[in-house]
Amino acid sequence: MKKIIYIVALLFLVIGINQVFSKKKPIIVGDDLCENCHLTLEDKNLLPAQAYATDIHKSKNITCADCHGGDATTYDMDVAMDRNRGFLGVPKPQDRMKMCIKCHSDEKRMKRLGSALPTDQFKKLQNSVHGQPSSNNRGYIADCISCHGVHNIASPGNPASTVYATKIPALCGNCHSNANYMKMYNHKLPIDQVEKYKTSLHGIQNSKGDITVAQCASCHGHHDIRTAKDPKSSVYVSNIPEVCSKCHSDAKKMSKYNLPTDQYSKFVTSVHGVALLKKHDMSAPSCNSCHGNHGAVPPGVESISNVCGTCHNLNGEMFSKSPHKAAFDKEHLPECETCHGNHGIMPTTDNMIGTGSETTCIKCHDESDKGKGNEYAYEMRRLIDSLKADEKNVLSLLGQANALGMDVADAMFAMKDIRQVLIQTRTCIHLANFRVFKETLQPGFEITKKAAIEGKNAIDDYHFRRTGLGFATIIVTILALSLYLKIKKIEKVQKEKS
Amino acid sequence: MIELTSLKKRISAWIDERYEISNLISYMKKKSVPKFRATFWYYLGGITLLLFIVQVVSGILLLMYYKGTENLAFESVQFINTKVYFGWLIRSIHSWSANLMILGAFLHMFSVFFLRSYRKPRELTWYTGFILLLLGFGFGFSGYLLPWNELAYFATKVGTDIVKQVPFVGHYFMVLLRGGEEVTGATLSRFYGFHVAVLPAIFTVFLTAHLMFIQRQGIHEPEDWKNKSESERSYMPFFPNFLLRDLLLWLIVINILAILAVFFPWELGQKANAFAPAPKGIRPEWYFMFMFQTLKYIPGKVWFIDGELLGIGFFGIAGFLWFMLPFWDKRTKIGIRNKLLNYIGIIVIMFIIVLTILGYVLE
Amino acid sequence: MNSSNHIGSPESPKKGRREFINYLLGGSFAAWLISIVYPIYHFLEPPKVEEVKVSNLKVGKVGDMEKESGKIVKFGSKPVLVVRTAAGDYKAFSATCTHLDCIVQYRKDYGQIYCACHNGRYDLNGRNISGPPPAPLAKYNIAIKGDEVIVFKDES
Repeated sequence: MKKIIYIVALLFLVIGINQVFSKKKPIIVGDDLCENCHLTLEDKNLLPAQAYATDIHKSKNITCADCHGGDATTYDMDVAMDRNRGFLGVPKPQDRMKMCIKCHSDEKRMKRLGSALPTDQFKKLQNSVHGQPSSNNRGYIADCISCHGVHNIASPGNPASTVYATKIPALCGNCHSNANYMKMYNHKLPIDQVEKYKTSLHGIQNSKGDITVAQCASCHGHHDIRTAKDPKSSVYVSNIPEVCSKCHSDAKKMSKYNLPTDQYSKFVTSVHGVALLKKHDMSAPSCNSCHGNHGAVPPGVESISNVCGTCHNLNGEMFSKSPHKAAFDKEHLPECETCHGNHGIMPTTDNMIGTGSETTCIKCHDESDKGKGNEYAYEMRRLIDSLKADEKNVLSLLGQANALGMDVADAMFAMKDIRQVLIQTRTCIHLANFRVFKETLQPGFEITKKAAIEGKNAIDDYHFRRTGLGFATIIVTILALSLYLKIKKIEKVQKEKS
Repeated sequence: MIELTSLKKRISAWIDERYEISNLISYMKKKSVPKFRATFWYYLGGITLLLFIVQVVSGILLLMYYKGTENLAFESVQFINTKVYFGWLIRSIHSWSANLMILGAFLHMFSVFFLRSYRKPRELTWYTGFILLLLGFGFGFSGYLLPWNELAYFATKVGTDIVKQVPFVGHYFMVLLRGGEEVTGATLSRFYGFHVAVLPAIFTVFLTAHLMFIQRQGIHEPEDWKNKSESERSYMPFFPNFLLRDLLLWLIVINILAILAVFFPWELGQKANAFAPAPKGIRPEWYFMFMFQTLKYIPGKVWFIDGELLGIGFFGIAGFLWFMLPFWDKRTKIGIRNKLLNYIGIIVIMFIIVLTILGYVLE
Repeated sequence: MNSSNHIGSPESPKKGRREFINYLLGGSFAAWLISIVYPIYHFLEPPKVEEVKVSNLKVGKVGDMEKESGKIVKFGSKPVLVVRTAAGDYKAFSATCTHLDCIVQYRKDYGQIYCACHNGRYDLNGRNISGPPPAPLAKYNIAIKGDEVIVFKDES
């Protein structure tokens, strides 16, 4: 009888082993019985175990049971996967992050595991836009697994990783290019970022496998992504120059692309940079205002006036109407940039116009210019300077009258318009039309002329007062003198009497 | 010509019949003014009176355009200065005359002090005169704020703040003066009221008394004349001699006023703004400067008494003693020369002059 | 009793000179009186300009301005833009552009307040809606008393 039992048992064992070996996949028999067993199973029971073979966590000796619970020391499924003995199965969505946090937010543990990774990812995620409750209220909008995956987790530098630089655009696009999905959270947010990105120089390089170029995370950050409206966001308007400069001011990185690295240092001293970064004027342009963001491309030579014209619309409009437009295009001159520069753009001054060596006009219209350009440039500068000089003179005249206590408030009021005339004139320089220029400036001279007359009258009136006083003083002197004589006379009479 | 003369006679007869003017004239003629080396000082009272009259006339004129509210005060003074015909002149004369009036009153007071004119029987003239000086200060202090400019605003703030230091009732008085806890539009209305109604009413009463006393008692004679014989004394009839001289002087003073107003027009400065930081060089009118400056020199705490309180106490007591002069100057009262008083007077004058200068120089 | 005797007795030997002094005295006194009365008289004359009332300003009758039009008035020393909307309401704003202090205008074709200097635009509530202006226009209040349109500034 005993023999029969042994034989049957042996038979079972042989069949069992046979069955195990009949699968074609290689089987690595390790210490982790969960893994050992699951590798013998099929489909959804097999895949996690199979993927886990290359997971970075496996190399750190983290077992299935470390996340899923259960007893890894037995093949008895009833015992190994007994919920009463701590088996968790597939963690619930709201709980699955906890498995990651257990180690990744624990500095000591991470050290013990020989990892130098930071431990603040979860904290950052909590404050990020993705750390908000999902619409079905089961966990966060995006948690660790949403991006890093499960069972096949690799470090971001590993091409196998789901968050490897070239894979990121598609990864983010999973949600952000899905209109239906995005509707649940922010229906106003566009969904074309990835599409645009693919057309940008960054995107083109990225798709070629270049991991130096910027992808979503380079600008938006990873765990601590915030909306662009959040001042703490890396892509908040005033933070953008710095974000771009991380790469674009890095000579090492840029040498590969033959790009200059001085844009940032120029920008911070430019009129736009000062407005944005020093004066905190949020309507001032940042890098992306001209270069675009997701579809970042430098503006083409002929589109510059449109780019600048979004804010400086009147100037842009005028330039487009001016004879300069066609001439610049022909010469492939970059419109606005030709005179004003680009990243290091400085506040305009009247020194830019005219025929002096520091002017921008003489770049084309030097003395050898056969057209009237040189002459007009000279005349424009002369007229502006002369109005400015008139303004100064009249203001000083009025100030003089004012200091004398005369009322010149009306003239002062009229003089305010000079500022406006000058601003309008400077704007209309973009038309490059001397006739319009003169017509715009002319009212200024009329104002100064009138005000000068008023100022002069006031000063004349002041002198009239002195004259009046002089007359009064003469009268008083005569009166006093005659009174004095009268007194003398009376006293003489009194003396004679006494 | 003859008809005109007879008409003049008939009119004066008509008036005389009813008001006995001739009585008054003959009374004035009998009145005489002692003639000696200090006679000039006797004109100072008259000049001060003239400047007061100028104040009344120019003040009434300014009232036609001035608006005593927070929003309009500054603008209306600006309007007077720039838009109203001769407004600049009237305002400048009002300001200049105010300052000269206080100066005149000071000089008048010290001349009375050194000539001992306050002694019996003229004690009440001294008392009313002193009160008139205080009222003049009140005019100055309240009028200073009316243009509602920056300097005046902060000077008033500091000035009324000093009142607060008086123990027990100080805070109450300050609120009463300011019309609230702060210097606001309410203070302006209040000061306006004081300046054009309350003070003039009180001033008129004391001025009438002051002048009446002088008319009643005649003009004080120098102390050493008591020992002089009749022939050594020399007099001048009040009418017409002294009066005409007075008028001559008035003419000159009025012209000086006009010259000052034209050549040194009174500045208006910037409109007061309660939220603006205090400007540099806040200072009171010059006649408060010596007190203001003294308060600066007194340390914050003297023994256990608050420094500012000490200063107020000091000036309060000093002012009161000065006021009571005819009462405690026993020697002069009985006709003995009191040299000590001359020294006191000189010390007081030196004190005022030195501290005033310090106040302006050390700014 | 007769005081005039005392001053100028007709029997005086130097009658001519005395009379001359009297005339000089009287004449110069009259001239002096004129030099005092002249400024006072003119002071009392109301000045041509309207008195300062910086807190409010009449800008005309309700029907004076066309609908959908605007005009600049001088409010104290500040320019103010009064706008009559399509609905016939009056509105008033500081006419000084918040960008570079140019004077703004109402543009019927845009239905907006417009600054010609840099194409800045404000809506009819004074809000900066386009172009470079960094801030809205300061508001002035409008009161209609009878058929008189009055612009005033709330001081509080």
